Amino acid sequence: MPDLLKRIGAPVLFGLLALLAVVTMVSDRRSLAEGGRDLPWWQAIMLEIAVPVQDVVTAPVDGIREMWADYVALREVRAENTRLHARLAELAEANLQYREALVASGHLQQVAAMRDDFEIPMLPAEVVGLDVMPWFRSVLVDRGKAHGVQAGNPVITAEGVVGLVTATSRHAAKTMLLLDRQSAIDGIVQRSRARGIVRGRGTDQLAFEFVVRGGDVKVGDIVITSGLGGVYPKGLRIGEVEHLLDPAGGLRQTASLRPAVDYGRLEQIFVMMRRGPTMDLLYDSEARAESVESGRAPGRPAS
Amino acid sequence: MKRVSALLGLGVAALVVQGAFATLVPPPACPDLALLVLVGIGLRWESLAGGLLLAVFLGYATDLLSGSLLGQHALLDLFAFAGTGIAARQLNLRGSWPLAFFAAGVVFVYGLLMLAITGFFVGGAELRLGWLGSQLVHALVSGACAPSVSALVGRVSGWADDDPGHRSLGLDAVRRPA
Repeated sequence: MPDLLKRIGAPVLFGLLALLAVVTMVSDRRSLAEGGRDLPWWQAIMLEIAVPVQDVVTAPVDGIREMWADYVALREVRAENTRLHARLAELAEANLQYREALVASGHLQQVAAMRDDFEIPMLPAEVVGLDVMPWFRSVLVDRGKAHGVQAGNPVITAEGVVGLVTATSRHAAKTMLLLDRQSAIDGIVQRSRARGIVRGRGTDQLAFEFVVRGGDVKVGDIVITSGLGGVYPKGLRIGEVEHLLDPAGGLRQTASLRPAVDYGRLEQIFVMMRRGPTMDLLYDSEARAESVESGRAPGRPAS
Repeated sequence: MKRVSALLGLGVAALVVQGAFATLVPPPACPDLALLVLVGIGLRWESLAGGLLLAVFLGYATDLLSGSLLGQHALLDLFAFAGTGIAARQLNLRGSWPLAFFAAGVVFVYGLLMLAITGFFVGGAELRLGWLGSQLVHALVSGACAPSVSALVGRVSGWADDDPGHRSLGLDAVRRPA
């Protein structure tokens, strides 16, 4: 009997551990579909360890890289300054003309309302580590629950959309980039208002799937967030159409997008401190369910 | 116990260093240090049950630092560990070249299985030529690092060995083929 146990012990343990892994995968897939999760302490420990260590390891290299970038930038700054002055004058002129046109058509109030929509508190954060595996696209940032970051918060840079916070610990947050295969957001072409879904492909490119009937899409078009889906606010830059993958195809086509954000040089990002309505709905329903169980008033999850 | 803790520490350290390293070099050129540590452990571990627990722990740690689903690396690490254990009994992996080729193969197959699991749970994970190319580069870079990482695992394992007899004799714990 002990011999039999010894013989089957390891295969049985293997089966049990494999089953456990599959169960956690299914449960994690579900929580990811709901916008992410705040990690329990025993899982958060890994992120808490990783952030300071990765910060120390990357700091010297970042310093050297920054010095080199400064040197190169300094060499080009004079020519660029002249160019920018000319461009500024052009834009000021164009801006004046647009303002005049807007006032004339009575749209200025709408523009002011739109600006209010974008006045969302932002938290600057540093990227301290990239995904440890080449098959996934996520980054680790040095701000977490202690700073008010919650799973489901959108992350952006000045260039455009970066991704979405999917897991948080006290002082760190894992952010899934738009490039990840698991990422999909609603986008529109700025010029023609053609709508579609922007999907990550696990590479440095994005795929824009759209229906031809909704409007035309050309190389060079800028794709922005549509605001539908309730995760990202409207008007954030996603990328530029680089080429149409099947121009002679059917009703549903795919274009390849060059992302607006240079993910290879991602250093400082901004976490939008307000979740979209979809995320709030998901979290509020969770909070409501919890409050029903515990008999307290529903509210947003603690930050 | 000391040995288990030391090897766990080494695995977690490999993960953290790998994450930092990924900010400096393109992803395919970044060796899969954590998997190489696991292969190194698989070559030396006597008790399959204890090794499986170690593998699943390292897998979950990888999942936490990666964009994968929780359990994805844990599942594949189980297979990688068991596969390495079986291969170490059947093949002679004591030299640098055999070990490098074996590790490169493990990393390549691991990537394919990862893609398959991602496709199954998430979708949109079709096999492209470009992806295969970058996966091959990743496997070769990892394979090139395998002998050094395995030697490091051997040193840590020897240093933390609970059996003083092994330490004093300075035994190389890599299993010989049956």
